[in-house]
Amino acid sequence: MPVQILKERNSGKITSVTLGATAEQGGTRACTITVGGESSLPWLHFEGETPNKPVVAVEVLDRYPEEWNDAVKATYGDAMKDAAAWAKAAVECGGADLIYLRLQSADPELGASTPEQCVATVKKVLAAVGVPVAVIGCGIDEVDNKVIPAVAEACAGENLLLGLATTENYNTIVAAAMVHKHTVIAQSPLDINMCKQLNILITEMGIPADRIIVDPSIGGLGYGLEYAYSVGERARIGSLQGDKMLALPTIGTVGFEAWKAKEANVGADEFPGWGDQAERGILWEAVTAASLLQSGLDILVMRHPEAIALVKKNVADLMTPSSL
Amino acid sequence: MEKHLITFMPDQVSVAVREGTNLLAAAKQAGIDMSSPCGGRGTCGKCAVKVLSGSYDSREDAHLTEDLKEQGLVLACKIKVRGPMTVEVPAQSRLTEHKVLLGSKRTRFTKANDYFATRKMNPICHRYCLSLDPPDLVDNQSDWDRLQNALRKQHGLKDATIAISCLQALPAAVRMGNWDITVTVGTLLGVPKVLTVEPGHTTRPTYGLAVDIGTTTVVVALLDTATGRILDKAGTYNKQSVYGSDVISRIMYTDDHPEGLAQLQKAVVDTLNELIDGLLAKNGINPREIPVLVHGGNTVMTHLFLGIPATWLRLEPYAPAVTAPPVLRAKELELHINPDALVVTIPSVAAYVGGDITAGVLANQITRSEELTLFIDIGTNGELVLGNNDWLVTCACSAGPAFEGSGIACGMRAMEGAIDSLEIDRKTLEAHCGTIGKIKPRGICGSGLICALSEMKYAGIIDRAGKMLPKQHPRIRPGSEGLEYVLVWADESGGKQDIVITEGDIKNLLRAKGAILAGIRTMLNLVQLEMQDIARVYIAGGFGNYLNISDSVRIGLLPDLPREKFEYVGNSCIQGAMTVLLSQEGLAESLDLANRMTYLELSNGNQFMDEFISALFIPHTDLNLFPSLQTECLGSAQATRGEQEGDAERPTGAGGPLPSSQES
Repeated sequence: MPVQILKERNSGKITSVTLGATAEQGGTRACTITVGGESSLPWLHFEGETPNKPVVAVEVLDRYPEEWNDAVKATYGDAMKDAAAWAKAAVECGGADLIYLRLQSADPELGASTPEQCVATVKKVLAAVGVPVAVIGCGIDEVDNKVIPAVAEACAGENLLLGLATTENYNTIVAAAMVHKHTVIAQSPLDINMCKQLNILITEMGIPADRIIVDPSIGGLGYGLEYAYSVGERARIGSLQGDKMLALPTIGTVGFEAWKAKEANVGADEFPGWGDQAERGILWEAVTAASLLQSGLDILVMRHPEAIALVKKNVADLMTPSSL
Repeated sequence: MEKHLITFMPDQVSVAVREGTNLLAAAKQAGIDMSSPCGGRGTCGKCAVKVLSGSYDSREDAHLTEDLKEQGLVLACKIKVRGPMTVEVPAQSRLTEHKVLLGSKRTRFTKANDYFATRKMNPICHRYCLSLDPPDLVDNQSDWDRLQNALRKQHGLKDATIAISCLQALPAAVRMGNWDITVTVGTLLGVPKVLTVEPGHTTRPTYGLAVDIGTTTVVVALLDTATGRILDKAGTYNKQSVYGSDVISRIMYTDDHPEGLAQLQKAVVDTLNELIDGLLAKNGINPREIPVLVHGGNTVMTHLFLGIPATWLRLEPYAPAVTAPPVLRAKELELHINPDALVVTIPSVAAYVGGDITAGVLANQITRSEELTLFIDIGTNGELVLGNNDWLVTCACSAGPAFEGSGIACGMRAMEGAIDSLEIDRKTLEAHCGTIGKIKPRGICGSGLICALSEMKYAGIIDRAGKMLPKQHPRIRPGSEGLEYVLVWADESGGKQDIVITEGDIKNLLRAKGAILAGIRTMLNLVQLEMQDIARVYIAGGFGNYLNISDSVRIGLLPDLPREKFEYVGNSCIQGAMTVLLSQEGLAESLDLANRMTYLELSNGNQFMDEFISALFIPHTDLNLFPSLQTECLGSAQATRGEQEGDAERPTGAGGPLPSSQES
């Protein structure tokens, strides 16, 4: 007797958001990327569609990341001393679908780059790669409120992914994105209600919903991953039930969180039973990513090419409907 | 130890205190009531004084505002006396004469009261004029037996008992009145007891007192219990205030001081006696003529009034010592009424749902029909009751005292000079304020704060999350805690400073309103009902003369229901106390109500927290809960957007705002 598959009927779906703009769209990108559009819980192909596969953004800094683990620093070597070279390498041999450029040097304690210098960096990265680019400030509101609008204006029409808009500083960033035709990242602190509140505040400024990517915040494996998973799951369920203020594609800083974990960083000499550190770190990043793929994450911000390769294989498998 | 003379100005009152005495304590000793919401811990910065001369030790005044420091003020609670001093106590550091919310102005309470709409009065204490048969050698039954028989035969009172003081007065009284006698009988749960005896037949009314013991204020009502007429009312601030403004700091005071409990009990008894003395003197009534007092209050106030340790009310699992205390005699509490008078406590439900709530539920007859009724008491805390004639659920949400004006930069209670309504011009952002007593504004009270939050949101000064939007406007400026909006300039106010609303105030208000709405939603979830199912809403609390329901809905404090479903009932605790005073059945019903209310502990589980976060938004994260506001949302979104873009060209293709969202 054939098994009757019970199907959930969903009234809503995730908004599709396109990043980057080609020449005819007013930008200079070789390609654009579209994320979102899912109409089922993650990977339930029999219930709904997953028209766009999750993508990987490679994290690139505008300063050499001294504090990063050697295993990660070894990947691109000296290219990491120049954001444009790093980005180029990430696209060519790191599996980057897009670049996640963090303008850390704007931080007064990490270089105090001026908005003009930041704009120059972004321009160089745009010239070096053809993929869409996300540009993130240094995290200090007063600084970012100068840097991001400058970048937005100088790169008008590129449809950059600008961030991070939070409850405290969304005004300036969203206004800049609206005027100069970019997309924004709305970041909330691991809380579904605060996530939705910020989306309401941002859309009320007049930016269309298909110009917002949500960063709901995540935790790495062993450091709150379950919490991130359940927030993602709740958001997806709410979206499918028709809540438009939750139905936005999501982005998560997987590499940043995974490589913060003690387990990704301590050497085998300290914990012989844990095995080789570099391999362990890569797996830590890959497992964090794979878990969050199951909660519906659309853009994974990652660091290590080998972890990225594993995740891409995983995504390819997941995108293939199982034969029932 | 050496004593020093401290003189307080401008009162010119002096008091001799020991070396090392705290100046705040010295002021109290001198009979000067100073404001000290933190209970003298030095954290509130309210007890500022100016030392005109003398020597003292002072610790760092970290909590004194720069402004006051510049004026040369210091915190009294941080000062230890080291020699004779002369100290000026400025008006802002004193507990001013309180205008207390005395409840509705119905003179004949029973006429308009919900409880007595369907029931007859049957007061706890009733006065009987009796004519006894004089004894003779054939019938030389005792005086008391004679009185008992007369009560049974003439008034059907069986098995009456008598207070010893009445027995002591009885033989002389019956003979002096030539066997005509007037007695007052108090009946509790069917058991009558003779409380006063007087010779002859008197035509004086029977009196009774109804009392609301609030954390901040105490109100006493004097009633003629035979007619149900309210003869007079008086209210003042609770003298316990000097030990802390909220119940938690007062419990902590009793924990930290060996005599603390006795001090707090004495403070509230003194408050009550002062009010009673005044009322009785004004109305020409002898204290002995008061045979009964019914009081209601929150559970902590009841514990402290009866001298019962409240320590464990503060600690998990929040178990009170008692919810329905026994009926006491006035002499046991040293109240200035008939020593044998009955002191009846309206029973509590749980640690944070007290007799004041039981009283409100009783007076407003929430159980009268199957209609789903919500009762909200917004005071120093927020207590909620939901139910009908079948069931009742109650909870307490830690809303904080923001709606009483506490913890708000320019907040004040609902008294003269408090802004209680306002409008902000959508274009010019100028505010037009109305005050209680129509005098120059001195601060802003709960109903004004609700208006302010609503107006600021819909004028585009703040966003839905309560953050002030950066705008070039003289009324919006940086303050000590983020941006602030100037409601009233100093030269138009009744004080010396601008009246402002700060971002910190808005956060406090959002938390207060969020806690209340989250409490409502959590209770509704428990019984699987929706906000739209609520048929009636009663709102009690010290908002002053009125509460703007529309603004309360617009900020998401109250559910979005047709406005006629709401009723503002003012001080419902005193109404409940009066109900019990006038109805023996009411007393029985209050005990039954307290037993029947199912207490929902909000700190148990994470549902309340989830609801709370989603309610920290104007009006709510789920805008579908507020359907009547959706057009307003649209309007304000456009206003905000216009401002944000300034002169910049509006991008083409940037679609319209999304005013609403949907959630299951």
